[in-house]
Amino acid sequence: MAVSKENQAKPSTSDNKDAINVSRRTFLGAGAAAVSVTAIAAGAQASSSMGAPTVVNLPSVKDDEFTSDIIETDVLVIGSGIAGLFAAIKAHDAGAKVIMVSKGRLGSSGMTPFGKGVFSYDKKNTKMSEDDYLKKVATSAIGTNNPVFTKLLLEHSYDRVQELKSWGFFDSPLCFDSFSKPMNERKIPIFERIMMTHLHKEQGRVVGASGFSVAENKIVHFSAKSVILCTGAGAFKPNGFPMCDLTHDGSIMAYNIGAKITGKEWADGHPASAANSGSSYDNWHGQVEQKPSIEGAEIRHDLGVDLNYSAYMNGGPVSMGPGSPSEKEAVVVGGPWVPEEFKRVGGPPSGDNGGDRPSGPPPGMGQTSGLHAIWAKLTGQKQSAPQGPPGMMGESVGGSTAGMSIHKSEGLVPIDANGLSTIPGLWASGDALGSHQTGGIYTQIGSSMAGSAVQGALAGEAAAKASKLVELLPIPMDTLAQTKTDILAPLKRTKGYKPAWVTQVLQSVMIPNFVLYVKKERMMDAALAYVEELRDHHVPMLVASDRHHLRLAHETANMVISAEMKMKASMMRKESRCSHYRLDYPDVDYENWNAWITIHQSDDGEMILEKQYWDKWPKFS
Amino acid sequence: MPINEIAGCIGCETCVKACPTDVIQMDLNQGKAYIAYPEDCQICHLCRLYCPVDAISITPEKSIPVVVSWR
Repeated sequence: MAVSKENQAKPSTSDNKDAINVSRRTFLGAGAAAVSVTAIAAGAQASSSMGAPTVVNLPSVKDDEFTSDIIETDVLVIGSGIAGLFAAIKAHDAGAKVIMVSKGRLGSSGMTPFGKGVFSYDKKNTKMSEDDYLKKVATSAIGTNNPVFTKLLLEHSYDRVQELKSWGFFDSPLCFDSFSKPMNERKIPIFERIMMTHLHKEQGRVVGASGFSVAENKIVHFSAKSVILCTGAGAFKPNGFPMCDLTHDGSIMAYNIGAKITGKEWADGHPASAANSGSSYDNWHGQVEQKPSIEGAEIRHDLGVDLNYSAYMNGGPVSMGPGSPSEKEAVVVGGPWVPEEFKRVGGPPSGDNGGDRPSGPPPGMGQTSGLHAIWAKLTGQKQSAPQGPPGMMGESVGGSTAGMSIHKSEGLVPIDANGLSTIPGLWASGDALGSHQTGGIYTQIGSSMAGSAVQGALAGEAAAKASKLVELLPIPMDTLAQTKTDILAPLKRTKGYKPAWVTQVLQSVMIPNFVLYVKKERMMDAALAYVEELRDHHVPMLVASDRHHLRLAHETANMVISAEMKMKASMMRKESRCSHYRLDYPDVDYENWNAWITIHQSDDGEMILEKQYWDKWPKFS
Repeated sequence: MPINEIAGCIGCETCVKACPTDVIQMDLNQGKAYIAYPEDCQICHLCRLYCPVDAISITPEKSIPVVVSWR
């Protein structure tokens, strides 16, 4: 059951005592509090017209206007980025009836529209052997990568890239048409603009999922034999990076039914320019208008947390452009440890490239940081253009991806190479899967897009095969009814907290560089106290005035849980490694921490963190 | 303002669907798209790039305060 019984009748009230120590499900299940919505609302409106500062939630859409659909399929693919695309078409080709559901539109949600490099390991034309590649990634990732998934990237990326080519993916900056081609040819139905909020588990396996439409007053239940989460990663709706629609929806849905989650302590450290730091387009300088390109093998050690460390130690401004002050200024002592062979003192990182862009940075661009090098690589020989990526020109500010770990290294814990999760019937792929493909750091340009394609295809095939072995189990009617109540709860509340405000509080607590990037026990404990307050008191009282704000309410609830996971995992990992940097434990601890951290919810709602040693794969929960 | 104007809309609804953050809605009476939630615009320009008649203009400033990790 996705919904626990004890929450069904528990109203959300303004009484602190009731609101404390309840799980997120109570936030969802607060219908009982709003029995006399109209009467209360009318009274409160009267008082506000008298000049009282009461803000009463008077939704423009009524919760009782929502109808429910139940749709049956073999394989349900949640998410419509590159992982979802490959999951859907490969599941279809393996003989399953497939449905795709997306919070946005095919090829236009998540980070896929902005991923312009796709790695292709071309065995025939590469100088770097598979063994060398795997060894070097493990060195750069300080062991944090899962070599099974790194190897899959090498084995399958070329084939996936060839398929993308055949659909015209590399011929346009926008991928809706190229993604639509294989979907239309197979007549795979796509349900767009539906935010999924619940997974359902019966008899020990996943039997479907539910969500609501942001376009019409509709609850949609999917009854499925297998579900594949291609829901991407997430962040705290940060500024300067196009990922404000990613709020870890898949991971949190899965966590709520007992799945294990990993990788929360890693931190993507992309900066933004100080000028217009909220503009994704300007920070990436129109990169969205470029056609995607193919990237060859080239192993790096690209951080970003180092910039936060530099800014923390010396203060701003931090500049990264060629000839910028930081290149001449004091060398920062300490900070994230970089393996010897990845310390760049000039010259491009070793590698034969093999892609369709020139290897190494263009002349005139420095090698002072990994991100700088990425930009050099992305722009190829266009360095004369007065443009740069986030923070590469002029003054930088940090936190533009705040709340995201590292691509492919946070999300559901896999129990096999196809991305099967610890819950039978539930797969994940791409950024929703904690595959640790390249570990807690970036080691290969284009590996995120390619990895999503590779993993999506494998999950699709596996889920289709598994679907042939099981019957469709109906989702119980009481579960459907409770789910609807849970989803619509923020619309029913007359008083409470606006999602945007709760999100702003969360951002203010989590994003400063001394919390999320340069970590220490006491600050994390303090931040966790704020997060737990939001979880226990504010999330259960989130209000929504329309479908858009209903989406924000559910997204906010997911971000708060993710923040809790990030702080708890970061406190547990008492060492520094890759993108996880602790001021109070600055060294790599090989003795105790050659391990990942997994997080799951116990039967009584407790968040449990455990070590998973690198050579051990978990079993079903 | 982030996304700040839709001028010359033909009502095809492409931008409404292409916006990752659900900023744009359809005015059903007018048959045209309008900017409903500018505060949630991530200034990614997908709507503008997908618009078949180049009707959308965008400026680089966020309309709400930006939280960064240092400044």
